[in-house]
Amino acid sequence: MSSRSSSSSKEAQARKFALVLALGLVLSSCKWDLWAIAARPTVEERVKDNLSGEMPTPGPVHVNPYSFRFAVFGDPQIGDDFESTLGRFGREVADRSIDFFCVLGDLTNDATSVECESIKAQLGRVGAPYYTTIGNHDLFQAGAWGRFKEEYGPSCYAVVIADRIKLIFLDTADGTIGPTQFDWFESELQDSGYTKLVLTHYPVFDGGKPIMGRLASDAERAKVQGRLERNGAYAWCAGHIHGLRDARVGSVHHLTCGAMAQELDYGEPAYVLFTCVSGSLSYELVKLN
Amino acid sequence: MNRLLLPLALLAAVGHAGVSSSASLGYRGEPGVESKMLAVVQADIEPLRFLKIDAGLSFNLFENNGLGAAALGIGAVLFRPAGLALRLAAQHQQWNGWRAGENRLLVLLEAGPLFGFDAGVGLVRRAPLFGDDYWSLFGWKSDAAEWNYQYRLRWKFIQRENWWLRAGVSTCDRFLAHTPQQFPLEADGGYRLRDKLELIARAGTAIVGYSGGLASFHEIEVTAGVKYVF
Repeated sequence: MSSRSSSSSKEAQARKFALVLALGLVLSSCKWDLWAIAARPTVEERVKDNLSGEMPTPGPVHVNPYSFRFAVFGDPQIGDDFESTLGRFGREVADRSIDFFCVLGDLTNDATSVECESIKAQLGRVGAPYYTTIGNHDLFQAGAWGRFKEEYGPSCYAVVIADRIKLIFLDTADGTIGPTQFDWFESELQDSGYTKLVLTHYPVFDGGKPIMGRLASDAERAKVQGRLERNGAYAWCAGHIHGLRDARVGSVHHLTCGAMAQELDYGEPAYVLFTCVSGSLSYELVKLN
Repeated sequence: MNRLLLPLALLAAVGHAGVSSSASLGYRGEPGVESKMLAVVQADIEPLRFLKIDAGLSFNLFENNGLGAAALGIGAVLFRPAGLALRLAAQHQQWNGWRAGENRLLVLLEAGPLFGFDAGVGLVRRAPLFGDDYWSLFGWKSDAAEWNYQYRLRWKFIQRENWWLRAGVSTCDRFLAHTPQQFPLEADGGYRLRDKLELIARAGTAIVGYSGGLASFHEIEVTAGVKYVF
């Protein structure tokens, strides 16, 4: 009896040891710096950094104010094979006379320095000016926020194109907006002089059967949607979900703008193409050839 | 709601229905979203052995002042030894300052308590409302309507003669139904003051951002009050 109990206790210990070993192997094989993820600057800290006045805000690109086009997509998510579909997108830029483009975060998969160098080079080769904001994957290493702001500037900012379109970039990499950014966002939305587009990583609404990849708080989503409607925003453009979705809530378009990643959750690589003619804005969802 | 509750209250008064009611005060806060005090009244009525009815009202103070939420549920007991019940509930929530509201219809299959555990699974249809009609209890058509799954698993891990403690995960309570991007945790407890009077308290939070690997605690809700069993 006692020898059977001693052997079952040894088996239980062996199982625990194997479990701990397996967990250790899984964690050590992960390229993400888990400590850096836990100790990352919060969205509140990043936004205060953005709005401190010490970081230069990207300026407006010069376009023909009567007719211009721009593309919006998310998630190039360059991994350790450095592959993306940005080369194919570069041909679209030339073929469709796209004046500039916007990337909605998750520039890299693991935020390693080699991935960051690769995506910077690939974005530069597309052949058009671009704006970016940050995604959750861009924070997966120690010093990731420092590197992002050094390479691309702020993660929340607003820019007015051709005195017609206001692009409001939000930092939702943590899945939330935070108090300081919300106040700033609200003041930018109240500006009634322009057609306003919000560009950020997380969707606020993505259809009637949602998954978990949206702005996290239900109350925050209600607050955001109430503000978008009240202030006449044209669209909320998001990435994160590697897919192309188009919904309308009241007068606001909710667009999940496709992705340029090699590995996709839904459909083909895609983007949203906006066209502004004489101040009138329209869009189409484009799957990459 | 009054038309339904009045006969049930009369039934309770003549001893034909089991009734318990509670009143609580509390706080709910989310960084950058809202920070408010809560005043909550709830009632649970069992007019028949196989029927449970629950209702409640929640009021906000200091932000989004006024009515915050209303709820009415009805449950059919399918198998009493396991506490198996099918519950239908309607919830209305509103944020007066934001001119935003939401109506929800929940269908839940609930079980327990059994060995201290209670569990539930189900679906919610939510209809968010914005603008002039945000307060409407009857607004079920919404551009932003959606379906979400719901789940609950709680464990009453301490049960003494005068007090108890319970903890677990639950996406929905009487006034709320979370969406899939939150992982809600809660703990509650009670202390019996007198034969029919109990002190009750509840604390809840939710982990958010885990879909992107950047998890954090976001919301916090704490309430405390008294419960009276008639």
